[in-house]
Amino acid sequence: MEPILEMKHIRKTFSSTVALGDVSLEVWPGEVRGLIGENGSGKSTISSIAAGMQKADSGEMVFQGKPWNPKSMIDALQHGVGMIVQESGTISGVTVAENIFLAELGQFKKLGIIDRRAMNKKADEALRAIGVNDVHGSTPLAALDFQTRKLVEIAKVVMKQPRILVVDETTTALSQNGRDILYDIIKRFRKEGKAVLFISHDLEEIMEVCDTLTVLRDGARIRDFRKEEFDPDAIRTSMIGRELQGDYYRGDFTPSRLDEVALRAEHLRSGDALKDVSIDFHRGEIVGIGGLSHCGMHTLGKILFGAEHPEAGSVTTADGTKITNETAAMKHGIGYVAKDRDVESLALNTSIRDNIAIAGMERYAIGNFLVTGLKERPYVDAQIKSLSVKCSDRDQLVSQLSGGNKQRVVFGKWIGRGSEILILDCPTRGVDIGVKKAMYELMDQLKREGKAIIMISEELPELMGMADRLIIMKDGVIMKEFARSRELSDAEIIKYMI
Amino acid sequence: MAQTKLTKKNRLRELLVTLLPIAALLILFGVLCMVVSSRGYRLDMYLRIIFNEGVVLAVVATGAIFIYSLGSFDISLGASTLFSATIGVLVYNSTQSLPLMILTIFGVAVGCSLLSSVLASVFHIPVFVTTVAMMSVLSAVAAQIITTKGGALGGIGIPAAVVEPLDNLPFKLAVLAVFAVLCVFVFNFTKIGRRLKFLGSNPVCAKLSGIKVNVYAIIAFVMAGLGVGLGAFLTLVYTPSVTPTTAGSIGMNILVAIVFGGMPISGGSRSRIYAAIVGGFSYILLNNILKIVIDSGAGYGISQIVSAVFFLAVVYVTSMNYRTKLLPR
Ligand SMILES: Nc1ncnc2c1ncn2[C@@H]1O[C@H](COP(=O)(O)OP(=O)(O)OP(=O)(O)O)[C@@H](O)[C@H]1O
Ligand SMILES: [Mg+2]
Repeated sequence: MEPILEMKHIRKTFSSTVALGDVSLEVWPGEVRGLIGENGSGKSTISSIAAGMQKADSGEMVFQGKPWNPKSMIDALQHGVGMIVQESGTISGVTVAENIFLAELGQFKKLGIIDRRAMNKKADEALRAIGVNDVHGSTPLAALDFQTRKLVEIAKVVMKQPRILVVDETTTALSQNGRDILYDIIKRFRKEGKAVLFISHDLEEIMEVCDTLTVLRDGARIRDFRKEEFDPDAIRTSMIGRELQGDYYRGDFTPSRLDEVALRAEHLRSGDALKDVSIDFHRGEIVGIGGLSHCGMHTLGKILFGAEHPEAGSVTTADGTKITNETAAMKHGIGYVAKDRDVESLALNTSIRDNIAIAGMERYAIGNFLVTGLKERPYVDAQIKSLSVKCSDRDQLVSQLSGGNKQRVVFGKWIGRGSEILILDCPTRGVDIGVKKAMYELMDQLKREGKAIIMISEELPELMGMADRLIIMKDGVIMKEFARSRELSDAEIIKYMI
Repeated sequence: MAQTKLTKKNRLRELLVTLLPIAALLILFGVLCMVVSSRGYRLDMYLRIIFNEGVVLAVVATGAIFIYSLGSFDISLGASTLFSATIGVLVYNSTQSLPLMILTIFGVAVGCSLLSSVLASVFHIPVFVTTVAMMSVLSAVAAQIITTKGGALGGIGIPAAVVEPLDNLPFKLAVLAVFAVLCVFVFNFTKIGRRLKFLGSNPVCAKLSGIKVNVYAIIAFVMAGLGVGLGAFLTLVYTPSVTPTTAGSIGMNILVAIVFGGMPISGGSRSRIYAAIVGGFSYILLNNILKIVIDSGAGYGISQIVSAVFFLAVVYVTSMNYRTKLLPR
């Protein structure tokens, strides 16, 4: 048997950063190969080279027995390699159908005019084919949430029936039903003798989904694991290059909090997303909020930060101030890590320095007005250091960082300013286990310092592992509250989610 | 070790981006000297014209940087320069007071800017609508005033003697320098400037970082208004009269000048004040060179086309550099 794709001695550098040293990789028919490694280890780089998004400095590729040099992602997709990228791969100014057929609007042209009806119909078909039933081709993409946009992107790529599907860190953007859709596609690819290159930081998931695993570290291929060799500790060790044992969540199982209420949500209503939701958030408490993607928890996060206005109800701080906009929220020490990182949390074409500094100017401004590098630089450097952001220097553009390192910058932005109340929407999305561990430790430490932490997440294990109190939402309503305990079982919790 | 190398390389590139527009300015200056002397024209006369036109454009463009850094634009700034100068003349002629005239000019200029920004940011009228509307209304009203008051002269003015003492190089340079320093200070060393640039980079994220979008849009327009006021005043100092075509093309020229100065029109963190000054003078130089070389020989308007092509080329090159850095990861 011949591999479908062979990548030989691929090297890729950015200035003096060596993203890939000399990496060879082959993908076989019927294989689902996982790529795993720490943030910045080169996973996105190697897979995007295969998918035509960028070019290697040297090395060669062979695809189905022929030399493979795709000119662009579109070119690669036409010829059989499709990729779902780590961040948004869709354009928000146009409709779902236009996103799906962006590169080939021509086929719907009749006498020079695009036949929208036919295009929308085709788009609907593509979406239905992967099992997405509630999205239509004519919908403007901007109206959709992050998860649904990802599904549109998946439909677009799968529709072209590529021989190889590259899935870069996509599942963390999806809730369970979205994941199931993707898993079904992956199974189908395996059965049809095609192949999948699957990138994830979720060890359990990757061991479940993949047949083989390739570990990357610092731009080098460290070793492969076959299914029967899968062992979490061994994989982690080879990822990090040293041992990292077992658990990384909180060690204790007793819920605790201070008496003082830091933030109070009362009778919040907002369309279908929230139907009369009231929660008190205490100081020194980690409140986990879980549910399916559309249960309303993401809207809740935005409203708590004043970024969206509820139709009824209010958000109040300890001193009785009503939070109605972001500026007021920040004045009262509220910080918000958004789910859609590249759009909502970071200005991509701006330096790490500006991104961290922008939220913390009160901390180092002279007389509430003047800002100088003298005080700003140490402030920024302290955040880069304490979150160990892997970067060349503070003036590097955020767009050049790997996914997980971007998230660290976001954390630095909010923690640096000394937020007393932290709203974290999917905080560990795309973050490797080493950083996850560090972030959980940080959350634990912040809790002990008396800060209020609101953790909205689609990952049940981290909610169970970290929260003092776990609130499960469904269709805009709080279904159930669980107190932290060793006895919590996911089966029991999931019952309230679906 | 590897890191310091990268840093150095970045610095080098940064420096190059900074120096390129300055090199272009110097080259244009050299070309002008050559062209003027090869035709046997008087160089000092040309330099005088270029300096005076350049100062006005640079001042107005410097203020406009605040708007452009938001990724927004305003082509009505030329019309409001004309309008505020016109009102200034009226006020001087009825009060004989220079301070009052200056105050009026600034008041009117900032007022126009405020109106534009309120229309755009509070009432959510698209910028290209407000800016074109403002441009037409302001220049029409100014033209009306000028033709009514000026009659057969085709213009109105203040006595030359009033501003005579100010019509010299040191004064104008000082005005430009003071204003530029003020703007650089606000732009780079205050919360206001830093937030404006961030807003230009990503408005969604800026809002979620507690930046009040409307407030900062208004601040940006007020800063631009100050530049317009200064520009109007300097125009009066140079030619103590206004005609309906005074400052007419400044609105569009600013856009070109800023791009010539090496700033992306999308605004954001790569916005620079010096782009306005360097670009402003470059543009005026290029314009005069083209006028001498082309218009004196062949058909009128070709210089416009040539400078437009030049403009597109610069935009293409700068945006190309920009795009390659955008990879979704
Ligand atoms: N355009 C770029 N400019 C400069 N450096 C880059 C660029 N793209 C990637 N890099 C660097 O290359 C290295 C590998 O990045 P890559 O995105 O492949 O990591 P990754 O394994 O996908 O990480 P993550 O899990 O965080 O997504 C990182 O150090 C990153 O900073
Ligand atoms: Mg990646």
